[in-house]
Amino acid sequence: MNVWFLIIPVILVFVVIALAIFFWSVKNDQFEDLDRQGSNILFDDDAEAHRRAQPADKHSKPQP
Amino acid sequence: MSACFHCGEAVPANSDYTLEFENNTERLCCPGCLAVAHTIIECGLAGYYQHRTGPASRTSLVPDELKQLQHYDLAEIQQDFVSVKGTQREVLLSIDGLSCAACAWLIERHLGQIPGVASIQVNSTTERARLRWVEDKARLSQLLAAFADIGYQARPFQPHQQEQAYNREVKSYLLRLGVAGIASMQVMMAGMALYDDLFPDLEVELLVTFRWISLLLCIPVMLYSALPFYRNAWRGLKNRALNMDLPVSLAMVFAFIASVYATLTNSGVVYYECVSLFAFLLLAGRFLEMRAKRRALEITSNLTHMVPMLARLETPDGEQEVAASTLQAGQLVQVIPGAAIPADGVILSGRTSIDESMLTGEHMPIPRQTGDTVFAGTTNIESPLRIRVLRPLSRSRVAEILRAQDEALADKPRVALLADRLSRYFVAALLLVALLTYLGWLWFDADNAFWIMLAVLVATCPCALSLATPTALTVASARLTQAGVLVRRGHVLDTLPNINHIVFDKTGTLTQGKVALESVEILGQLAEARALALAAALEAQSEHPIARAFRPYRDASLLVEKRENRVGKGVQGEFEGRGLYLGSGPWLGAEEAAGDGLSIYLADDQGLLARFNLADPLRPDAQALIAHCRRQGIKTSILTGDGSGQADRIAAELGVDRLIKSASPDDKLAYLRQQDESGDVCLMVGDGINDAPVLAGAHVSFAMAGGTDIAKNSADAMLLGDDLQRILLARRIAGRCRLIIKQNFSWALGYNLVVLPLAALGHVSPWLAMLGMSASSLIVMTNSLRLSRL
Repeated sequence: MNVWFLIIPVILVFVVIALAIFFWSVKNDQFEDLDRQGSNILFDDDAEAHRRAQPADKHSKPQP
Repeated sequence: MSACFHCGEAVPANSDYTLEFENNTERLCCPGCLAVAHTIIECGLAGYYQHRTGPASRTSLVPDELKQLQHYDLAEIQQDFVSVKGTQREVLLSIDGLSCAACAWLIERHLGQIPGVASIQVNSTTERARLRWVEDKARLSQLLAAFADIGYQARPFQPHQQEQAYNREVKSYLLRLGVAGIASMQVMMAGMALYDDLFPDLEVELLVTFRWISLLLCIPVMLYSALPFYRNAWRGLKNRALNMDLPVSLAMVFAFIASVYATLTNSGVVYYECVSLFAFLLLAGRFLEMRAKRRALEITSNLTHMVPMLARLETPDGEQEVAASTLQAGQLVQVIPGAAIPADGVILSGRTSIDESMLTGEHMPIPRQTGDTVFAGTTNIESPLRIRVLRPLSRSRVAEILRAQDEALADKPRVALLADRLSRYFVAALLLVALLTYLGWLWFDADNAFWIMLAVLVATCPCALSLATPTALTVASARLTQAGVLVRRGHVLDTLPNINHIVFDKTGTLTQGKVALESVEILGQLAEARALALAAALEAQSEHPIARAFRPYRDASLLVEKRENRVGKGVQGEFEGRGLYLGSGPWLGAEEAAGDGLSIYLADDQGLLARFNLADPLRPDAQALIAHCRRQGIKTSILTGDGSGQADRIAAELGVDRLIKSASPDDKLAYLRQQDESGDVCLMVGDGINDAPVLAGAHVSFAMAGGTDIAKNSADAMLLGDDLQRILLARRIAGRCRLIIKQNFSWALGYNLVVLPLAALGHVSPWLAMLGMSASSLIVMTNSLRLSRL
């Protein structure tokens, strides 16, 4: 039964870590837009056409 | 007929806008959608089309609106909504047309690549973006135009003052909820071991350890998570009112202190798991409630746009653009066609027609000339004006109406909330029973008296009761938002089932609030389609409401030259070398037709060609709505500022019970007060600034989504689409919600009544109390969730 006295402090440490991560994520607005994050991974930021468009767009931007 | 590749609307038969995408030829409905789809694909952002979950909104290219974006660049205008951070500036924008996560991605990619943009964050839940840019490299108007390039309308808006506070509160509830949740799980785990009637043969040493661990984990719940309950209970006591938070707080504090005492002296029973689970369940309810409130506020703020109102002030050194709010009486101002009039004033020179719909609710422009008074916020339609300012903006007609609205809101009739009344008696009874139990046992068995009273408090803790109303209300509001009704104030769901009288504004509420073609009579040799196309060509560049009625009939191959506006009469031009006229009967020498509708004539040099009868059409579902009301025994009235025969016609056609014509905003409010005195509970539906005071003063009020900002702000709820039938749907959901609340109360009270005698006799052990309380709370929550499937 002595193993309990080892496990319990370990659990407490985990609880503290979980709480710390939770506080950090709330403070960093991680819970503000839950609709979006699920599908974010679908988008391909490195599409060939997009990269090609980047410099071109910067040059062709009309000046004020 | 196929659907538009970009917006999903039907592609008109004769249009030919196509686009090559991934080796397919896709059809589009209009040049606006074509331009947007082109930009998106060119920039390599086609991933949007692969991953979006809903169609985009239809894009219309409005060059006028794009031109007006330049106003947002003026420092004087920007100071209201732009914050300066070093060399960077930051603005919060609300975005129209943002329908899914793909939109957010698309905007971030597209805007992110523009030089000068420091950062852009789009939130698809709130439909907002936070944009930061370097002023030297980009101008705000340019960036706003970039939103339009990909089919979204981004506008600075006025965040509600309360929003910051709500944000902080939602976040703090989330933190408290998280702490209570994580702690509850651990305490429950240790708590299971302590249920000595379930696990009778654990070592004493281990039991003591588990008690101490539970105590340790329960401290943050008591000192941090549960704080709002103590605060509310204390606030209630100070106001001499008993609220639900009082027995909750008492049960938690007593149970915790007793458990600490038991732990220290190694006696009695501990209730740590009850305490933390109380906190968790109750906080979950509060959190959801708070989030729903914040959502309602956000949608309203998004709809309140900051439209810069500018004035062209005449000064000794020429014309100067200034913000309208700085104008003083006596100054001279120029107003170009299409612009809003910046202040109440008198016309010095010029002759035009003015759209006063903002004040009167009537969309037909009214001719005005030298010497007439014009009002701030109305729109000059046809020709330039020079006006002398009569009074500053803060004392203008619009400002007066706003003040009336505030006053009406202050003495709005209130319906006592069901939950408040019920809980007061319940709390008093509960505290009394706990006290009697204690006194009874004190006389009978003094040693156990405190522990048994504690068991009574814990077992009957009104956890389920305090969840009964908020969960039902939250789920019902979410369901309503999904159905297109946005509830802005809490009492709506409580009052809606009681209404027995619906009062409608006419223009823009029962009718569509725009001029449309009703019928055509051919007077010459021309075919109907040809006559319509010619009229449309004549009106092609006009912003007059009548011109809009002809827009659908436009044939791009017909070109009219030498177009000229004749104020108060009509338009003229030349087509294939001959004169062409469109305008009022007297101007073109036509006999005035019988009837009360509005007619205009098309003529050429030889004579009349056609007569167009125009009307403000009823909304398609207005008839059905009134019929429904009649069947359900709800009285209906129309309250309108319009004094013409059209009001009578509409009232007769719809079969409403009463019609009040030519009513000023004050008359409207007086009528409503009179109904209130005769015992009616009224629902007011309106859209204009002139409706604002009545909307604020009615028992319940709905504003139309297309209405003015001021109307939306003074109403209790908003119809997000144009479907009037939603009013009845809202009433049905509110009725169901009330039923669910009653069921919840019956269940929670019933459970308490059963468990109370058991607890008072000392037969409820901690794990039984725990199980009963959780099960009862979960049943209440599940019952509330049924509302979402209505």
